[in-house]
Amino acid sequence: MHLNRAIAALAGLLAALALAVPAHAIDIEQVYKFYCAQCHGLTGKGDGPNVGADFPVSPRNFTNAAEMNKLSDADIKNVILDGGPAASKSPMMPPWGKTLTAEEVDGLVKHLRKLCKCKGKQG
Amino acid sequence: MRPILAIVISAAAALGLTEPGHADPAAGKAIFEAKGCNACHYTQGPAREKTIADQLAKKGPELWYAGSKFQKAWLAKWLTEPKPIRPLAFNSLTEENKGDHPKLSAEEAAKVTDFLMTLTSDVVKPGSVKPKKSAKGRLIFVKKMPCSGCHAFPSRKKFKGGRSGPSLVGAGERLNPDWILAYLQNPKVFKPVKMMPVFVGILSPKDMKQVAGYVATFKAKK
Repeated sequence: MHLNRAIAALAGLLAALALAVPAHAIDIEQVYKFYCAQCHGLTGKGDGPNVGADFPVSPRNFTNAAEMNKLSDADIKNVILDGGPAASKSPMMPPWGKTLTAEEVDGLVKHLRKLCKCKGKQG
Repeated sequence: MRPILAIVISAAAALGLTEPGHADPAAGKAIFEAKGCNACHYTQGPAREKTIADQLAKKGPELWYAGSKFQKAWLAKWLTEPKPIRPLAFNSLTEENKGDHPKLSAEEAAKVTDFLMTLTSDVVKPGSVKPKKSAKGRLIFVKKMPCSGCHAFPSRKKFKGGRSGPSLVGAGERLNPDWILAYLQNPKVFKPVKMMPVFVGILSPKDMKQVAGYVATFKAKK
């Protein structure tokens, strides 16, 4: 009887875990491709489909380590949350603060660091 | 009433239902289903998408609030001559829109339109927005917010807007101005997961109304 209950409890726990895991495991590359790639491009070169010859600005090329190193993680986070003007850049970069979760924003900062293979301005 | 008269009256009424111009949503629904439209468009709300994967799994836009979103005359015409609204294929950043949406005959289109116009959302408040070419609306659309970055729009300038969102050229003939506002105000009701940023809490309700009014002035041809 006790064993049965223990097995039932374990099974319940496993089921709960199975349900809980996908909710937490965000696929940050998918998040990047869904929101950011429209302008920054699928590989981060700043060449998304919106960027035609007449596009008024050049979206940041995330693979340019020299440029990306000028920004701290906090700078990147602020621009994602509040848009280009938060870093005196173009309002063509929208504020995503009301769209993305905190976890997605943090994940995106890390993802951009992966794309630039750089650590950025420290402190 | 004499039985014969009753029969004549009901026969006339039945004929009346099949006359062109008379709304026939049930026939439209049957055509919608027979043509397999629901393979790409779902017509029962509320919105089902919870994750990006859910959104990416869709093959076409949801139509469960089509009657609140579209203008009837535009819809009936578009179904007979479907021209791309999105420059790129649905849910794609790399593929062009092939413009291969199935075409309906004028009679089918009228009935399907009658059906789609019955699909409404009470979040859309009739009479809340009037098309208005305001300087403020334009400023928000083109400068303050990056709407033009993703949406094509009628412009005399060189830059005529981005390509990742649906084109807004002709939005004044296509969209119900009240829906534009309702969508800006309650994006999650209509599209819980979308590539467009949420502007609730960023744009004031007044600003949203001005943008909606401005977009509602966009003509198909300049």
